[in-house]
Amino acid sequence: MKFSPSLFEVNNLNFERQGNLVLNGASFQILPGEYCAIIGPNGGGKTTLVRLLLGLEKPTSGEIKLFGIPQKRFRDWNRIGYVPQRSALVDSTFPATVREVVGMGRYALRGVFGFESAEDKSSISEAMELMGVSDLSDRLIGNLSGGQRQRVMIARALASDPDVLIVDEPNTGVDAQSQHRFYELLRTLNKTKKMSILFITHDIGVIAEDISRVLFVNQTLLVSQNPSEMIRCDEMSRLYGTPAHVVCHNH
Amino acid sequence: MIEMLQYPFMQRAFVAGLMIAVLASLSGSFIVLRRYSLLSETLAHVSLVGVAVGLLFGMSPLWMAVLASLVASWMIEYLRSVHGMYSDSVLAIFLSGSLALAIVIVSMAGSFNASLFSYLFGSILSVSAEDLWVMGIFGSIAMALLIAFFKELYFIAFDEDVARAGGIRVTMLNFMLVSIIAVIIALSIRVVGTLLIGALMVIPPVAAIRFGMGFYPTTLLSIAIALISVVIGLSASYIFSLPSGAAIVLCLLVIFIIALVINRR
Repeated sequence: MKFSPSLFEVNNLNFERQGNLVLNGASFQILPGEYCAIIGPNGGGKTTLVRLLLGLEKPTSGEIKLFGIPQKRFRDWNRIGYVPQRSALVDSTFPATVREVVGMGRYALRGVFGFESAEDKSSISEAMELMGVSDLSDRLIGNLSGGQRQRVMIARALASDPDVLIVDEPNTGVDAQSQHRFYELLRTLNKTKKMSILFITHDIGVIAEDISRVLFVNQTLLVSQNPSEMIRCDEMSRLYGTPAHVVCHNH
Repeated sequence: MIEMLQYPFMQRAFVAGLMIAVLASLSGSFIVLRRYSLLSETLAHVSLVGVAVGLLFGMSPLWMAVLASLVASWMIEYLRSVHGMYSDSVLAIFLSGSLALAIVIVSMAGSFNASLFSYLFGSILSVSAEDLWVMGIFGSIAMALLIAFFKELYFIAFDEDVARAGGIRVTMLNFMLVSIIAVIIALSIRVVGTLLIGALMVIPPVAAIRFGMGFYPTTLLSIAIALISVVIGLSASYIFSLPSGAAIVLCLLVIFIIALVINRR
C-alpha cells in the first residue's frame, strides 16, 4: 500500500439536484486502513456522497482530494475499488463470463490496444481466488446466484489492487449465508490486507464491532469516532427521526 | 458463384458487403448490449436525409449521408448524456423527424425516385470504385478505433458507472462509438440500403447472444453470421435479381430463427 496522509479529504462539500439540496457542507477525511460505515435514511445523500467521491457527480461547491490530489487532477482511479448498489442484479442474458467481468477491473490499467500482461493475469487470478469464484471462471455471469454475482463484482473491484474499497449497499438479492460470507470478507480485507473500506449500509448492527468510524448522512454530515455510541437506539432514533431498534448480530 | 465474381460490379459489391458485415456486426454488439438498438435505425433514416439533399443539389449522396448521420449522432448523444433525456424518446424524435424531412425533400424534387429506391433497399449495381475507396478509408479508421477501444466499450456496455469510476473516459468513448456507427451506416446504404442496415447491425449480435457464450466468442460468432448472410444475400441478389439489402436481411432472419430454435430456453 502506498503512503498517503488521507485517502479522501472532503471540505465543505455541497450538492444540489434540480434546485434541491442533497448535501450541505460535508467535511471529513478517510485515513488509510480505516473501516467506515456510511449510514442514514433513504434519500439522505449516502449514495450521492460516494458518487461525488468517485467523480460520477459534480459538486455544486466544495473541494474533494483523493490521495492528497485535487479530484480534477486525479488519474489513479484504479486505486479505488467500487462495488455499486444492486451490483448483484445483472441482465441474465448479458454475454460475459466470470473471468471477463473480473478482468474489467484491469482495463483502465492496460491502455489503448493493451493486451493482458502477466501482472494483469496474476491480479485477476488472485482476486478470483480470494473471492472463491475461480471455479466459476467460464460460467456466464447471468447464470449465477445473487451471492455468487456479488462475489464476482467484488473480485472485479479487487482486481485493480485498490487501496480502498467502496461498497454501496451490496446485499440486494443476496441470501443471508452469502451476506455473512461477505461481511467476513470485508473484515479480512481490512484486518489482514490493511485495505480501507467505505461501506454504505442500512444494517449497521452487523458491522458494529468492525468499524472505526460512522458517517451519518442526512443532507448534513455527522461523523462519529465512536460507533458503539452512535448506534445506540436512542441516538439512532434521534438521527433518523423515527423510532429505531439496533440489533447487533453476526449475520 | 465463381461466374458472378468475374463481373467487376459483383467484386465491388462483395468487397463492400464483407467490409460492412464486419463493421456493422462488431459495432452493433455494443449498441445491442446497451439496449440502444434503435440508434442504427434512427441514423439510417437520418442518412436518407443526406442522400435526398445530395440528389436534390447534385452533390455526392454518400458524403452527404455521412455528414447528416454524423451530426445527428452527436446531437442524439448530447441530448442523452448531457441533458439526460431518455434515449428511446430522443431516438423516436430523430427517427420520425428525419423521415419527414427526407420525404419533404424527395417530394420537392420528384424526379429521382429510381435512384432513391436503390438507397432505400440497396443495390449491387450501385457500388462504384469511388464508393469503395471512401468505404475503405472510413472503414479502416472505424475498425482501428473499434479494436483499440474494444475492451473499454465492452466495460461501458456492462456497467457505465463502474467503468467511469474506474477511470475509463466514458463520455469521449460514447461520442466515438455513435460517430463510428453513424459513418458505418452511411457507408452501408449502397449495399444494404437505409431501411435495412439496422438489421445487419442488430440481428447478428442478437442471434449470437442466444448461444450463451462469453463476449469475445459471441462477437466472433456475430461477425461470422453477418459475413455468411452477406455472401448468401449478395449471391441470391445476383441470381434472382433481388434488392441486395432485402436478400441479406432475409438471410439474417433465417439464421436468427435457427439460433432461436437451437437455443430454446
